[in-house]
Amino acid sequence: MKFDISYTLDAIPRLLDGAFITLQVGILGFILSVLLATTITVAKTSLNSKIFNSILAFYISFIRGTPILVQIFLVYYVLPVFGLNLGPFTAGIVAITLNSSAFVTEILRGGLASVPNGQFEASKSLGISGYVLWRKIILPQTFITSIPPLVNEFTMVLKATALLSLITVVELMRVSQQIYSANYHPVEVLSGTFVIYFLICFVVSRSSVFLENRLKVKRA
Amino acid sequence: MLEYQIFFDYTPMLLTGFWLTIKIVVCAIALGIPLGLVLALGRRRNYVIISFLSTSFIELFRNTPFIIQVFLFYYVLPFYGLKLSAEYVGVLALAAFGSAYFAEIIRAGIDAVPKGQLESARAIGMTEWQAMKNIILPQTLTIVIPPLTNQSLTLIKESAILSTITVHELTMSGLMVQGETFRPFEVFIMVALLYWALNETIATIMRKFEQKVKKNRKTSFVLKLDTTLKKSQSIK
Amino acid sequence: MNANFLELKGLHKSFGNITALNNVSLNVSKGEVIFIIGPSGCGKSTLLRAVNWLTPPDKGEVWLEGNQVGSSSSKLTIKESRLLNDFRAKMGMVFQQFNVWPHLNVLENVVRAQMVVAKRSRVSAESKALKILDEVGLNNKIDDWPEYLSGGQKQRLAIARTLAMDPILMLLDEPTSALDPELVGEVLKVLKRLVNNGMTMLIVTHELGFASEFGDRLLFMDGGELIEEGNPKKILSMPKTKRLESFLKKLHINSFKH
Repeated sequence: MKFDISYTLDAIPRLLDGAFITLQVGILGFILSVLLATTITVAKTSLNSKIFNSILAFYISFIRGTPILVQIFLVYYVLPVFGLNLGPFTAGIVAITLNSSAFVTEILRGGLASVPNGQFEASKSLGISGYVLWRKIILPQTFITSIPPLVNEFTMVLKATALLSLITVVELMRVSQQIYSANYHPVEVLSGTFVIYFLICFVVSRSSVFLENRLKVKRA
Repeated sequence: MLEYQIFFDYTPMLLTGFWLTIKIVVCAIALGIPLGLVLALGRRRNYVIISFLSTSFIELFRNTPFIIQVFLFYYVLPFYGLKLSAEYVGVLALAAFGSAYFAEIIRAGIDAVPKGQLESARAIGMTEWQAMKNIILPQTLTIVIPPLTNQSLTLIKESAILSTITVHELTMSGLMVQGETFRPFEVFIMVALLYWALNETIATIMRKFEQKVKKNRKTSFVLKLDTTLKKSQSIK
Repeated sequence: MNANFLELKGLHKSFGNITALNNVSLNVSKGEVIFIIGPSGCGKSTLLRAVNWLTPPDKGEVWLEGNQVGSSSSKLTIKESRLLNDFRAKMGMVFQQFNVWPHLNVLENVVRAQMVVAKRSRVSAESKALKILDEVGLNNKIDDWPEYLSGGQKQRLAIARTLAMDPILMLLDEPTSALDPELVGEVLKVLKRLVNNGMTMLIVTHELGFASEFGDRLLFMDGGELIEEGNPKKILSMPKTKRLESFLKKLHINSFKH
């Protein structure tokens, strides 16, 4: 057999549709995970409760210590047992959000540690506290120092979305499988898919530097 | 609600899968680290073709999902006439994936060694490889061992994806037990706990090792100081 | 004396738009001790590093005992780079920052290259190392780790490491500049022994006293060019060029400031 590039080219329009879904799932999952992780971070710092901290430590350790594929299966197969039938798309988003927010929480912990303690004290002495303190002073600094690892985590999320094909979410990977199971040319179709994934992730990972510069200028 | 019987009946099956997971990951690490070293050295080379090929390999494997790499290996190898069992394909794919990350870790380790070390080794007549082996790489060990271990933990987790090409590792075993019992909760919790236990065990050993290295440095410092003092006294 | 021991022919090297070497030629006889002085960035380190091809020149040739070192182009063939390693073993290089190998103890620092490059057995490499470490006064430190040595001891170790390769030429790049003043003497003592043993040496330094006492020739470089050369005592007391005169003046002003 020879590599027949026409099968790759023919597949591209449908693959691009799939890539669009991949991007949507990835962005949605990532935004939700950042929101969840931010809530966790604020709660952890403000509550300072032992029970909360140990539950959080358990959650992070479990997520980091088990394959995301198993986590996806847990959400997809186990939640219906408790009467929660989410459907593949929602289950996938939930699994990715739960997974990614553990990593984002760790990233924000690092970012928060780099915010000088004086920022808290100065704000308090000015009477700034609660929502305004976090929203206007602490979180912006935390996020800006965390840009490179956050961008990296976003590429991890994008790559993880490919696993949702296994619970029948029709994203790029699934579309590619649908195409080659019809035309029996997996090598050509998968190669095209591979290149699309590469372009998306490569561009995203390289955007880190660009984003950092933009935000720094904006601040100055 | 929980069916405890499942834990007893199907544990042997899951443990068999678990054992295959360990074997596959060990093989992938054993292949992946040397390949990562070759890629890291290749990326540093002055020859444009070698450094371009190494860099491309690293970037391609770092910027694509592992699952598509697995499928490509699964379909591409027989396409070019190389027929291997799913286990071997899995090991190769996991080793290739890991090597891209190992390469970047090793490269960072090499970059952390002061430039004068390589220069002094080359100036005394060592070849690039002799200098790497005798002078540079030994100095990177304490720097690279923790991140290499972390990456190896990632390989354990990524190996779950090999279930998609019918490798009977832990996740595949879990899926099969689930197919027989229709008790997903019990099965996947057990699968997750096994992964978690392996992960935590290695991470704990690593932490102990790191502490020991730190401590050893201090004690050996005291010992060295002690012997130096004794020597200088005996000379006087 | 063999005037063709080391020949540098028309060496050129530029980094971006900075010219580090501009048409530098030099003939060195066997046993000659040559000191090179000049302001920082004048190309004196680049000159030394061009001799053993650590910094390959863009143009020009280096010949040692009638054999060409490196190549006429700045890219080497596989054969040329293999030969280059043999040349480098014969040209001991000593760095300002010592560059001793921190993961090897003192003895092993001197043994390793003998075994790897010169393919000597451990027994003969160790006995050679012990002899040389004794000569440089480190015989009571053989089991120590470099990190616990003083700067002067580190530099003596670095010199011992290159001497173990039986070099026929030594290239010393500011060997005492990174040392505390009270440690300079012990390194100079070792260098004096080398001079007395008839070693051919190229030394980049700011130690003018040492240069005028032991140098056969002194070179003054500025802007990548050889400006002036001659007998060290003569040249230092009566510089012919304005550039050397003002360089020496600045050096003296600086030494008064200390």
